[in-house]
Amino acid sequence: MNRFGVNRRTILSGSAALAAMASLPRGAQAQAATRLRTYWWGAKERADRTNKVDEMYMAAHPGVTITGETLGWGDYWTRMATQAAGRNLADLIQMDFGYIFDYARRRALLPLDQFVGKEIDLSGFTQQSIDGCKVDGKIYGVSLGLNSTALIYDRETFEQFGIPIPEWPMNWDELGERAAALTKAANRPGYWGMTDNGGSGPGFECWLAERGKFMYTQDGKFGANAEDMADWFGFWAKLRAQGSCVPPEVQSLDKLDIDTNGLTQGKAALTFSNSNQHVGFQALNKRKLDIAMYPAGSSKTKSGQYLKPSQMWSIAATSKAPEAAARLLSYFVADIEAGKILGVERGIPASKPVRDAIEPSLDTISRRGLNYIAFISDKVRDLPPPPPRGAGEVLALMVRTNEIIGFGKKSVTEAARDFMRECDSIITRG
Amino acid sequence: MSVTAQIIRRRRPSLAGYVFLLPWLLGFFGLTLGPALASLYLSFTNYDLIGTPHWVGLENYVRIMTADSKVADSVHVTLLYVAMSVPLKLGFALAIAVVLNKGISGLPIYRALFYLPSLLGASVAIATLWRKVFAGDGLLNHVLLVFGIHGPSWVSDPNTALYTLVALSVWQFGSPMIIFLAGLRQLPQDLFEAASIDGATPRQQFWRITVPMLTPVIFFNVVVQTIDALKAFTPAFIVSGGSGGPINSTLFYTLYLYQEAFGYLRMGYAAALAWLLVLAIVAVTAVAFVTERLWVHYDD
Amino acid sequence: MIERARRPWPRSLAYHIVLCAASLVMLYPLLWMFASSLKPNAEIFETFSLFPEHWDFSAYSRGWNGLQVSFGQFFWNSLLISMLSVTGNLISCSLAAYAVSRMRFPGRNICFSLMLMTLMIPYQVTLVPQYILFLNLDWVNSFLPLVVPKFMAVDAFFIFLLTQFFRGLPRELDEAAVMDGCGPWRIYWKIILPLSVPALATAAIFTFIFTWDDFFGPLIYLSDVENFTVQLGLRGFLDSGGQSDWGAMFAMAVLTLLPVLALFVFFQRLLIQGIATTGMKR
Repeated sequence: MNRFGVNRRTILSGSAALAAMASLPRGAQAQAATRLRTYWWGAKERADRTNKVDEMYMAAHPGVTITGETLGWGDYWTRMATQAAGRNLADLIQMDFGYIFDYARRRALLPLDQFVGKEIDLSGFTQQSIDGCKVDGKIYGVSLGLNSTALIYDRETFEQFGIPIPEWPMNWDELGERAAALTKAANRPGYWGMTDNGGSGPGFECWLAERGKFMYTQDGKFGANAEDMADWFGFWAKLRAQGSCVPPEVQSLDKLDIDTNGLTQGKAALTFSNSNQHVGFQALNKRKLDIAMYPAGSSKTKSGQYLKPSQMWSIAATSKAPEAAARLLSYFVADIEAGKILGVERGIPASKPVRDAIEPSLDTISRRGLNYIAFISDKVRDLPPPPPRGAGEVLALMVRTNEIIGFGKKSVTEAARDFMRECDSIITRG
Repeated sequence: MSVTAQIIRRRRPSLAGYVFLLPWLLGFFGLTLGPALASLYLSFTNYDLIGTPHWVGLENYVRIMTADSKVADSVHVTLLYVAMSVPLKLGFALAIAVVLNKGISGLPIYRALFYLPSLLGASVAIATLWRKVFAGDGLLNHVLLVFGIHGPSWVSDPNTALYTLVALSVWQFGSPMIIFLAGLRQLPQDLFEAASIDGATPRQQFWRITVPMLTPVIFFNVVVQTIDALKAFTPAFIVSGGSGGPINSTLFYTLYLYQEAFGYLRMGYAAALAWLLVLAIVAVTAVAFVTERLWVHYDD
Repeated sequence: MIERARRPWPRSLAYHIVLCAASLVMLYPLLWMFASSLKPNAEIFETFSLFPEHWDFSAYSRGWNGLQVSFGQFFWNSLLISMLSVTGNLISCSLAAYAVSRMRFPGRNICFSLMLMTLMIPYQVTLVPQYILFLNLDWVNSFLPLVVPKFMAVDAFFIFLLTQFFRGLPRELDEAAVMDGCGPWRIYWKIILPLSVPALATAAIFTFIFTWDDFFGPLIYLSDVENFTVQLGLRGFLDSGGQSDWGAMFAMAVLTLLPVLALFVFFQRLLIQGIATTGMKR
C-alpha cells in the first residue's frame, strides 16, 4: 500500500524539523547585534546604491546588521499601510512629501527633534530644508535630496530632427507645438513627441500656478474649480488631437514608474518627471537625455515649480532601536563617503559639505541634475500647502479622468464636472 | 454485549470525534469564524488600521449602495466577466470533453495538454506572460499581422482589456473539462446504442441524452465557476498592475476592495464590501439550488 | 467500442486535426515564453517564432542574480513553505475528514456543513483580523502565518476531497476492526490512511501547487527580501528591471513554473482523478 515509501515516522520527524526552521526569524543568529530594517521604493539603480551604503556602514559598525526591503511605488504604500497597522514598520522608512503629514499625524513616525545635534548631524542643512520636513512644528523626516519637477527628454532625437529643445522660458502651447513637430519629423509609427501628462498631478499643479492657485488650499480644500479642470484636460485633448503626445492606449501602459514610462519604452521623446529621476531614466536609455523646466505661464516669466525634498528618511514610531536608526540615518545624509555612493540619484544632497565633497567626483549625468537645481533656484515659488488626506486618490482620479476623455467616453466639460464631484467626495471623506 | 459496554462503545467514539476535529475546530473558530465576525463588526466602523475603529452604523453600506460610482463600475465589470467567462469556459470544456470521449486514440495526451494551462494559470509567471501576449507589440498582434490585421493594444484599451482576462479564464478550461469527461464516461452506454438503433442522429443523442444526463455535472461546474469568477483577483491585479485600469475597465470587485483596504486604509469600508460579496455568493448559491429541480436531472 | 470500429477513419482524422490545432493554440504562449527566454532581448518582440535565431542562455544568469538576493533563496523559501503546508494539510484535513465521514457524534452534520460553507467565504473577509492576530503573536515576517493555518485544516477543499474518498471505502473494514478491538485511532492509522494513499497524494500535490502559486499571502506577510517566495521574487523582478529585460523576466518565469510542471508530468493521473472524483459529487 505504501507506494510512496513514506511512513508516518519520517513524516512526523520531518515536519517537526521543518516547523522549527520556519519559526526561526531571519537574523536570529545574531542576537546581541542591533538589526535595522530599511524600506524604500525605487528601481534597481537605487537599490544598488543603497545596499552599497548599507554594506559600508555594517563594515564600520560590526554590531549592526541592516536589511533592505524595496518595492515599486505602487506596492510600496500598500505594504506600508499594512505594516503600520501591524506596528511592524521598518526602522528607517523612505517617506514622500505627499504622505508624511498623514503618517506623522497618525503617530506612525517618530519625531526626530530629540536626536538632532546628537545622533543626527544636520549642521550642513539649511533651515529651509529642515523645515520642509516638519509636520505641526516637529521634524518627522530628513531630506534625502533636494529636487523639483522636470521635463526629461531625449536630447539626441530633438537635435537629430532640428526641433528646438524645450528650454526655459517656454510656455505650455510652445511645448505642445514642439512635440507635435517632433512627431511629424520623426514620422515613425508608434513614436510621438511626448507622453500624455493630462493625468499628471505635478504637471497640473505647475500649470495652475499661472492662475495664482495652489492645488490644495491652506485649509485642505481642492484649489481648482471645474473651469480650471476643463481647461487643463481640454489642453491635453488638443495636444492629443494635434499629435503632440501618445494616444491613450499607449499612455495607459504607464504605471507611474521609470520602467513603464513611454520615454523608457521608446514611445515618446519627452516626459514629465522629477529631476532626480533623470539618473534612473538615463540608466535605462541608450540615447542622451537631458532635463528642462516645466513650461511657464503664457507670459513666460513665472514658474509654478518649487523645490522639495524628493524623499526623506523617517523613523518608525515602533522602532526598537531608534538611536541606532538615527545614527544610520545621519550616515546616509551627512557622511561624505556615503554621499559619494548615493550621488544625486535621490536628489541633490541637502547637506552643503556633502554636496561640495561629491561635486568633483560626479559624472556628467549627475552634474546635469546639480546644475538644474542651481539653475531653477531663483525661478521657483515657495512650498505649497501640504496635501490633505485623500490626495493620493485625487492623483489616481486625474489619471482616470484624462483616460475617460482620451478614450472618448465623455466630453471634456462633462468629465471635468464629474471630476470635481468625485474630488470633493474624496476630500471630505478624507 | 452488556448495556454498559454498549454505552461505553457509543460514548467513546463521540468524544474521539471531537479530538479528530480539534485542529479544524481551532482553525474554524480562531481563523475563520472569529475573524469573519471581527470584520463584520469593522464593517460598521471607520478604521484606518492605525487608530481605533469608531462606530458609524450603516454609513459604509449606505455609501456603497448609493454614492460610490466605483462600486457600480466594479460590479459591472465583475458581472460582465462572470457572464462572459463562465459560459465560454464551460462551453469549451464540454465541447472538447465530448470530442475526447469519442474514443479516439491518444486521449491521455490530449487530456494532459488541455489540462496544463489550468494547472499553471494561477501563477504570477502566466499573468506577466499574458500582459505580453496581448500588448500592442505582443505575440497576438504579431500573429494577426500575418493576416494583415493591425491589432490594438489589447491590455491598455478600456474596450478590450476585460476580454484579455476573459481569455485568460477561458484558456484554463481544463479542470471543468476533466469533470465533464468523468461525467460522460459514467453515462450508460446502452442508452446511446438503443438510440442509434432507433435512428437518432448524433446531434439528437447529444441534446436528448448527453446534456440531460449530464445536468448534475453541468450544475456543479456552473456553481463552482461562477463563485470562482466572482472572487477572481490575481489575474486582474497582475495584468492591470493593481490599478484596475484603464478607466476601471478591469476593476474587479475584489480588486476595488483591496484598493480601499490597503491603498486607502479604509478597513471598515472594505469589510462592508467583503460582507456584501459574501451575500452575493450566498445569493448565487441559493438561486442555483432553488432552481436546481427545474433543470437538473438525477437518476434517483 | 463497437462505436469506434464503426466510425469511418476520415472523421477520426478530422478530430485529431481539430484537437492538435486547439492544443497548439493553447500551448503556443507557453512555448513562446520558453523560446523568448533563450532569445536576445532585441529578438523577443520582433518575431513570434518558437526558434531563436540567436541562442542566448545569459538571460537565466541575469535573472537568477537580478535582485540583491538570488532566486536560489526564493526557491528554497517556496519549497520550505510548500512542504510544510503539505504536511499540515495532510495531517489536519485527513483527521477532520475521517471524523465527518467515518465517525458518529452529535453535531457531525453541522460541522460538515460549516466546512462546505467556508469553501465559499472569500478570504478578503478574514484578511485584516487575521493579520492583526498574527501580528500580536509576533509571527509576521516569518513563515508561520502561511504555514500554521494549514495545520488547522483551513483549506476545506481538501477535507472535502478526502471525505469523498473515505466515504467510498467499505464500512465492513471498520466493523471488522472494531470486532478486533481497534479504537478509532488505530482504524484511522492502520486502515483508512494506508487505503487512501492515492487521495492523500492528490491532496499533497494540489496543496503543493496552490502554495507554490500563492501570491497574496506572501505579499502581505513577508516583508524581508530574504524571506521572499518565488512569486514575490518574480513580481519584485518585474518591478526593478524586468520591464526592460524581458528575456531575464521570462527566464525566471519559466523556472518558477518548472516544479509545477514536474509534478504534472509525474502525477498527471492522480491530478486528473482528483479533479474528477471531487467534481462529480458536490
